[in-house]
Order: sequence, then structure tokens, then C-alpha cells
Amino acid sequence: MKLFFLIPFLFVLSGCLHTTPVKRKFPEVPQELVQACPDLKLVEPTEKLSDVLKVVTDNYSQYHECKIKVDTWIEWYKSQKQIFESVK
Amino acid sequence: MFLLSFIPDALMLWIVNTILLAGIAGSVVSFFFGFFARWMPWIIPYRMLLQIISLVLLIAGVYFKGGVSDEMKWRARVAELEAKVAKAEIESKNVNEKIVTVYKDKVKVVTKHQVVVQEKIKEVQVVIDAQCKITNETLDILNNSAKGIKK
Repeated sequence: MKLFFLIPFLFVLSGCLHTTPVKRKFPEVPQELVQACPDLKLVEPTEKLSDVLKVVTDNYSQYHECKIKVDTWIEWYKSQKQIFESVK
Repeated sequence: MFLLSFIPDALMLWIVNTILLAGIAGSVVSFFFGFFARWMPWIIPYRMLLQIISLVLLIAGVYFKGGVSDEMKWRARVAELEAKVAKAEIESKNVNEKIVTVYKDKVKVVTKHQVVVQEKIKEVQVVIDAQCKITNETLDILNNSAKGIKK
């Protein structure tokens, strides 16, 4: 007879809403992509064109590296978003 | 149903089936009480109690059976989703590795190219410097441009 007290309790349990206990997290960005691009180099006072040229070409190189980083970021986000949204 | 998710499948099924079967058995006995009373006369004083308990158990059993079916359906859905998430995590990790490898390769190419350019400048340095001299104004313009406008 004592067990009958459990019945209303079980009814109460069954009244709760369903939740899906599957937690998801958007993936972490690779460390290589979270480093900020450095400032462009400045030319030290000089009369030589070759010194200027070195700094300018270095800055061009810096730009290309940053462009790659941004392009990679975009590609990373698109790919990860696609994978993330594929799970339904 | 949330709290039911903590109870193992087998135990939950066993409890619900027991309640349902007890309810069915009790209801059958209540329905054919006269027949059973002939064989088991000691149950005669408990007729009303048996009817009430049987009815309660039968209703509870049917209700829980439906609840358990629903719970099982959800558990299957959760298991399916967990498998998909695990697969997606592996895929995501592989994509990350691939993207980083491609990124490093591209940066390596740029760096290598820059080394070649710097070497080229060194080669022609004397010729370039002999033909042109840079004024301070030129450097100011160039540096201001490189600094950009920062807020």
C-alpha cells in the first residue's frame, strides 16, 4: 500500500517538459589566425632608394600575409558554419 | 519526463510493465470476481479495494506506457544527435588542420618570395642608389601613408 504514494509522484515526473541534453560548441579558431596583423614598417631617415625599397617591399609582403590570413578566416568560418549547421 | 531521463531504460520498462500487468491482472480478477471468489474465498472482503487499486494501476500503467514510449523515442533521438555531433566534431577538427596547413604553406611562399625580392634589391643596390636620392619630404609622405589614420 505504501508504494501507492509513489504513483502521484511519477505523474508529476511525467509532466515535465522534454529537453534534448546534447550540448554543442562552435569550434575554436586556430591560434595562427587570431594573431593581429602588425603595423606597417616606417622608413628610417635615409637618402638611399634601396633602403626605402626594402621597407616598401617588406610592407607589401606584410600585406600579402595579412590578406592570406583574412582569406583563411573567411574560408574557416564558411567551412565550420557549414559543418555546424549540417547537424540537425 | 526530464527526471525520467536519469532512470535506466531497463529499470523504467520493468517498473511500467509491472504496474500495467498488475493493473490488467487486478481488473480481470475484479471483472470475474464471482468466479475467482469461488476458488479464493479469502478475497471477498477486499472486493472494493481490489477494484479501486486495479483501476488506478491500469490507468497509471497505460499512462506510463505511453510516457515510456515517448521517452524511448527521445532517447533514440538524443543518441542519434550525439553521434552526428561527434562526427561533426571530427570533421571540424580535420577541416581546421587542413586550413592551418594551407595557411602556413601560403605564408611560407610569401616569405620565400620576399627573401628573393630582398636579395634582388641587394644585387642592384649600388645602381639604384647611384641614380636616385631620396629627400626627407618623400620619406614623410611614405611614412604618413604607412601609418594610416587610426581612431
